[in-house]
Amino acid sequence: MAQNQRPKSLLDSLGEEIIRILTPVSICMFLVVLLVSILNSSSSLSVSSIATIAYSETSSDSSWDKFLGALLNSLAFVAVVTVATFILVLFFYLRCTNFLRIYMGFSSFVVLGFMGGQIALFLIEKFSVPVDCITFSVLLFNFAVIGVLAVFMSKMAIVVTQGYLVLIGMLVAYWFTLLPEWTTWVLLVAMALYDLAAVLLPVGPLRLLVELAMSREEDIPALVYEARPVTLHDPASGPVQRRIWRERGNVRRDSVGNSSSNSSVNVVSDSNSTVSIVQASHNGTRIARVEEGQVSERDAELSAPLISPRMDGQDGTSAESLMLEGMGLGSSGAIKLGLGDFIFYSVLVGRAAMYDFMTVYACYLAIVAGLGITLMLLALYQKALPALPVSIALGVLFYFLTRFLLEVFIVQCSLNLVMF
Amino acid sequence: MEASTPNPNPNNSNSILSSTPVWPTIDGPLGLSEEDSLSYARRFYNFGYALLPFLWAVNCFYFWPVLRHSRSFPRLRPYVVASAIGFSVFSVLLCSWALTFAIGGEHLFGPTWDQLVMYNVADRLGLTGWS
Repeated sequence: MAQNQRPKSLLDSLGEEIIRILTPVSICMFLVVLLVSILNSSSSLSVSSIATIAYSETSSDSSWDKFLGALLNSLAFVAVVTVATFILVLFFYLRCTNFLRIYMGFSSFVVLGFMGGQIALFLIEKFSVPVDCITFSVLLFNFAVIGVLAVFMSKMAIVVTQGYLVLIGMLVAYWFTLLPEWTTWVLLVAMALYDLAAVLLPVGPLRLLVELAMSREEDIPALVYEARPVTLHDPASGPVQRRIWRERGNVRRDSVGNSSSNSSVNVVSDSNSTVSIVQASHNGTRIARVEEGQVSERDAELSAPLISPRMDGQDGTSAESLMLEGMGLGSSGAIKLGLGDFIFYSVLVGRAAMYDFMTVYACYLAIVAGLGITLMLLALYQKALPALPVSIALGVLFYFLTRFLLEVFIVQCSLNLVMF
Repeated sequence: MEASTPNPNPNNSNSILSSTPVWPTIDGPLGLSEEDSLSYARRFYNFGYALLPFLWAVNCFYFWPVLRHSRSFPRLRPYVVASAIGFSVFSVLLCSWALTFAIGGEHLFGPTWDQLVMYNVADRLGLTGWS
């Protein structure tokens, strides 16, 4: 039969794209819940960090005092993050991208090496694993160095890079769950509001960063998780044209010139005529800073907004991409999610795990629903959007509803053997 | 009637008989081209000597098609094979040492076992005390 293929529509790839971003988020949350449930029952570790600078919670204070203290802590933290992001915008404006990359490589090394090492030590002590210090140090060194290479400095297997990003998110999120309880919840809400303001307000630092990057067609050096692009292979379209995962802006400019002349040439494995439909990378960053001495917050270049799979605005690329759409190569690019979003989702779920698993399930579903809504808004508005507010709002709402209303109901049902 | 040609699987060939892969990396069309791969393979191999055997493992994993199809990519192959050999030698050494340490325990090493084992080292150096 001649017509045995319907034209590919958005729906064919939408599910797969969403799954490719939901899977790492879920894995990160699962790992944090696992760590929290294994480690926190044994020791109580109090963290003195930049987020407890104004007030450190004790269990004997009244609720109002705790709430005020938590509010002060969160305001201090958000202020620090805002200042740090403005400094990042300044550096980016002054084109010190090399310095930024080195700094971020260094902070990833610290996160992977020190925080990863500490958590590994906790696990070793808990399970009394008879590993000696030589083996441990060799393995940790390898783990940290390869992590830094994979995330920043060199191209590596996509699986390895994505895995290390998830691990970095997990480590930082576990660290945040060690904060006192009221501080954590107020901090989550404060960061969601900050994200909303920083990305959508015209004066917000993240929006400035995104606009700078767009106007210069550069990548912001930031920790961003990029899902693998979905390619719909249309058998009638000829050999597979090559796409580049995570490419830089200048390559894209070259390929625009190449593709318009090579449009009808068959591409086999010829690197000269690579055609790429990667979206412009609009990244924002948010930094959680470290201070010397007693403070233990680690540096992490965290990226906030959810990036839209957008086509380049230039005429050359739009014509070429239309042509490729006609040839059935599918959607315009992969979805990018900043690592800060991974971290704060996992902090929420980790905190819920400290109460009970029922809240974990409720918060997980709420966060996934929020992420779905954000992705739909992304498809609607086609610009960089903050990924935190909707999910955190739903997550916090469901946590408190579950804890105060649902649990009572379920416990009573179980006690009376109505349901388990 | 259109005969739809089978889509070339990026990691295998277009024909059935010869099995030369088109892309040298495990990511297929999303990965590196052959020219870039040469410099990456060489760099991974050389840096692996800086006490980074897992970089050799990453090298082998990333260029798995080069390793699997023995007559493809003649320029890349020496580096990837050398990385594979280096990683297996290293892992044999490390595993034997770690297993000796774990299984031998006190009665093989005597009092030095307590000095070498990680949780005691961590306690002694106070690595988990600070946060």
